[in-house]
Amino acid sequence: MSMGRFLLKRSVQGVFVVWGVVTAVFALRYVTPGNPITFVAPLDASQQLREQIAQELGLNRPFYVQYFDYIFSLVQGDMGYSYIQGVEASQLIFARLPATLELAVAASIVAVVISIPLGVISATRRHEPADYAATSFSLVGISTPNFWLGIMLVLILSVQFGLFPTSRRAVGFLESFGNLVVLSFDPLRFALPLNVTEFFHDIVTWLAHITLPAITLGTYFTALITRLTRSGMLDELGKPYVRSSRAKGLPETLVRYKHALRNTLIPVITVLGLQLGTLIGGAVITEAVFAWPGLGTLLINAINSRDWPLIQGSLIVIGTGFVVINIFVDALYAYINPQVVH
Amino acid sequence: MAHDEGTSRRKFLTAAGAAAATASVAGCTGGGGSQETTTTTTATDTTTTEADTQTGADTSEEGDLPDEFPVTITQGQMPTTLDPQNHRSTPTDNVVLHAYEGLLGRDQKGKVVQKLATNYERQEPGRVRFQIREGVTFHNGDQLTPEDVAFSINRIVKKNVSIASPQADQLAGVTGAKVVDGQRAVDVMSEGINPIVFSLFATYCDIMQKSWVQERSKSEIAQQMNGTGPFKLEQYQSGVQVEFSRYEDYWRRPPAITTLTFRAAKESSTRVNQLLEGETDIIVNVPPQSISRVRNAGAARISAVPSTRIIYNAMKYNVEPFSSPKFRRAMNYAVDLQSIIQNVLSGFADPTSQPTLEGFFGYNPQVSVYPHNKSKAEQLVEESGHAGASITLHTPVGRYLKDVEIAQAVANQIDQLSNVSCSVKQREFATLAGELTDGNIDTGPAFYLIGWGNATFDASQTIIPLLTSDGALTSYSNEKVDNLIDQAQSTGDSQKRDNLLRQANQILHDQAPWIYLNRQYSVYGVRNRVEWQARRDERIDAYAMEPAEGQ
Repeated sequence: MSMGRFLLKRSVQGVFVVWGVVTAVFALRYVTPGNPITFVAPLDASQQLREQIAQELGLNRPFYVQYFDYIFSLVQGDMGYSYIQGVEASQLIFARLPATLELAVAASIVAVVISIPLGVISATRRHEPADYAATSFSLVGISTPNFWLGIMLVLILSVQFGLFPTSRRAVGFLESFGNLVVLSFDPLRFALPLNVTEFFHDIVTWLAHITLPAITLGTYFTALITRLTRSGMLDELGKPYVRSSRAKGLPETLVRYKHALRNTLIPVITVLGLQLGTLIGGAVITEAVFAWPGLGTLLINAINSRDWPLIQGSLIVIGTGFVVINIFVDALYAYINPQVVH
Repeated sequence: MAHDEGTSRRKFLTAAGAAAATASVAGCTGGGGSQETTTTTTATDTTTTEADTQTGADTSEEGDLPDEFPVTITQGQMPTTLDPQNHRSTPTDNVVLHAYEGLLGRDQKGKVVQKLATNYERQEPGRVRFQIREGVTFHNGDQLTPEDVAFSINRIVKKNVSIASPQADQLAGVTGAKVVDGQRAVDVMSEGINPIVFSLFATYCDIMQKSWVQERSKSEIAQQMNGTGPFKLEQYQSGVQVEFSRYEDYWRRPPAITTLTFRAAKESSTRVNQLLEGETDIIVNVPPQSISRVRNAGAARISAVPSTRIIYNAMKYNVEPFSSPKFRRAMNYAVDLQSIIQNVLSGFADPTSQPTLEGFFGYNPQVSVYPHNKSKAEQLVEESGHAGASITLHTPVGRYLKDVEIAQAVANQIDQLSNVSCSVKQREFATLAGELTDGNIDTGPAFYLIGWGNATFDASQTIIPLLTSDGALTSYSNEKVDNLIDQAQSTGDSQKRDNLLRQANQILHDQAPWIYLNRQYSVYGVRNRVEWQARRDERIDAYAMEPAEGQ
C-alpha cells in the first residue's frame, strides 16, 4: 500500500469516527439529567414561559428531527446558537481554541525539551546519580496533582517573588505576530506593519503569562515521557543491532543517538500525539487555576448550564482534533517506520 | 482633543458644583443627586416627583474628575451575554448595568431611586405612569424617547417582540406598555393592582434603543452595547474581558473611572492572588479562609455586606416525617446556627428566623431566631411520632458560599439527636434545580438545601415562588399563608399590605416549613486605591467608585 492510499484509508476511517462522535454526543443530551430550560428561564418561571423558551430553542421537537437538523446544519458549518449566550456556538468555540492550543503546544514543548534528553541521560548513565535524579524527578512529576502544582507555582513564583503574573492570558500568540504581519482573507491582504518593539513587548507578555500554566500542565507529561524514553532507550541499547554496530566499531555517539534513539522515539511520538489530544480536552484544572480562557473552561461552564449547542460543538471540535492528530501521528509513524504501511 | 474638551467640561462642572460624592455613593439618586427622593422600597408609595434639576446646579463638595483612573473588577464568571434583557445572572447584570439603565434603580442600601424616569405614579389599578427624563442620550448619540422605553418593556413581557425574554416573570403581572399621547411619558399596564410594580422596575428592565435593537441580530445584540449608562463599551472578548470607557455625555456627572475592565476567574484562590498582586482592583466572593490573607497583605481590604440571598433547608410538607410541624420545628431547634455562622462562615453571615430578610418589606421584627436546644428538639421529635426517623439532606456543590460545609454541619447536628439520623447527599446543582422546578412537587427530594436571592426587597417575591401552594419551586402549602399573600397582592394600601406579609411570616416561622439558616454575605476584596462600599443587592456599581485619598 502506498503512503497516499494509507492516508486516504485513515482519513475515511476518521470521517466515520467523527460521525460516531457527533451521534454519541448528541445522544448524551437524552441520557443526561437536568433540563436546559432550568438555566435559560429563572428558577421561578411560569410553565408558560418555560414552554415558550423551549419552543424558541427548538427543544420541543422530536429527537430524530433535532438530530437530522443538527447533522444537516453541522455539515454546513453551523453548530447552532448557545442557549445561554444567544451567540453562534462555533464563534464561541473557535474564539477559545487558540488559547487551548497555545497551552497544549507550550506544555508539549516543555515536556519534549526536558523529557527526551533526561530520558536519554538516564538510560545511558544507568545506576549513576544522574539516573537516580531523573527517575526521582519523573516519580514526583507523575504523582503531583496538577492543581496543587499550579497553586504552589503561583504562590512561590508570582506572589512571593513577583516573577510571573498570577493568571490570565493578556495577549494571544497570533496577536503578538499581528505586530509583524497582517494577514487578512477578506479581502485577501498581506501587509507588514513591522512594529518590532510592540512585537517584543507582546511576545514577552505572552511568555510571562503562559510559562506557569505550561509548566503546570506539562509536568506530568514530562515525567511520563522521561520514563518512556528511558525504558525504550534501555530496551534498544540491549538489542543485537546495537551490539553489532559497536562490534563493527561505530562511534558510541552514532550508535546511541542515531540508531537507538531513533527507534526509541517511535513509541514516544505515538504517546506525544495522543497526549496532545488529551491536553486539549483535559486542561480544565490548569485553565481554572490560571483563569486561562480556553476550551476546557468553556466546556465545563457549558456542561454546568446544560448549554447543549456549546457542549456538542466543543466535544466535536475536541473529538475531531483527536482524529486529526491520530492520522498525523500514523503518518509520521509510517514515515519513521515504513513497515507500518504494509 | 476630545480629551481636552472633557477636561474643561469637567472643570466647568466642578465650578458649578458637580454631583456630590455622597450622591455618587448612593449610586442612583435621580436628577443629579441634589435632592433626596422620598420613595421607599414599598411598592405602595406610588408617587414621587422631583424638580428637574440640572446636573451643573448640584451643590457639591466634589473635586475634579481624575484624568486617569482605570479600575479592574474580577468576578467568578464572565457575562453570558451583553443583551441586558436576555439573561438572568448576577455576573451578567453587574457588567451590563454599567452601560444600560432602568427607569428606576436602587441606592447602596436598596432604596428605590429615580433613573430614567423622573416621576412615577399610579393612575388607576393596573396602570402606572412613568415620566421619562429629558436630555438623556444613548451611546450612539441619539436621544432617549418614550418609544424606546415602551419597546424595552414590551420586549420583555410580550410574546413576539424580538425575543422570548427569560425576564418576563421578573416583571410579574405587567402586560405591556405604551407611550402617552402628547406627553413624554409611558403607561405600564398590569393585571390586577400589582402593588410591587415600582419595586420590580427598580430592579429589572433595562432600557434599550428601539431602532438599534431592531437593526441587529440576536447574536449582535449579545455582543455590542448601546445604552444610556455611565460607561460605554470599548471592547468585548467573550469569556476573556469586557472593557468600558467613561461616557462623557452621561446625563449625570460622568464617572470618576476612566477605563473599567471586567474579567473572570472561577477559582477563588486565583482571584485572591490577582488582588494581592495588584492585577485587579475588586474581587467578588472572597472565601472565609482567605479573608485574613487579604487583610494582612496591606494593599487591600475586605468589604462585606449582608446580601439579599437567604440559605435554607426546605422540608417538603407532604412527606413523612416532614409532614409534622413538630418534627420540622425540632429540626430548627436541633441546628446550632450561631456555631455554623462562626465556624463555617467566619462570622460573615446573619441568622434568619423567617423567609423574609431584615430590611425587606413585610419583614416581621417580632419573630425571633430558633435557639439551639437539643433536648427540646428530641422532645418534639418524640411528640411528632417520628422518633427513629432517618433523613437525607440534598445539597448542591459549589453553588452557594460553603454550601456543602453548611449542609454537613446541619446534618451532623441533627444526627447528634438521639432519635433522628441524618446524612448528606451531594448533588450537582443542575439536576437538583431541574427536579425542583419541573412543576411537580413530588419529583424533588424531601429535604434539601438551596438559596434564594430576592433583589426586589419585598417579601412576596420569596414567599410566592417558594412557600405558596402554586409556587414554581414550592415545598409547602398552607391555606392561611395563601390567603394572606393573595390579599397582600391585591391591596394598594402599604400599611395593610405590610401587616398581611408580617402575619404570613409569623405563620411561616411557627410552622417551620424550612430550617432557617443564614443570610449570605457578599464579601469583596478591594484594593486600597479604590474608594467603594459593597452593596446589598450583589451589584457592583462602578459609578460609585472614586480614587481613594492619597492614592
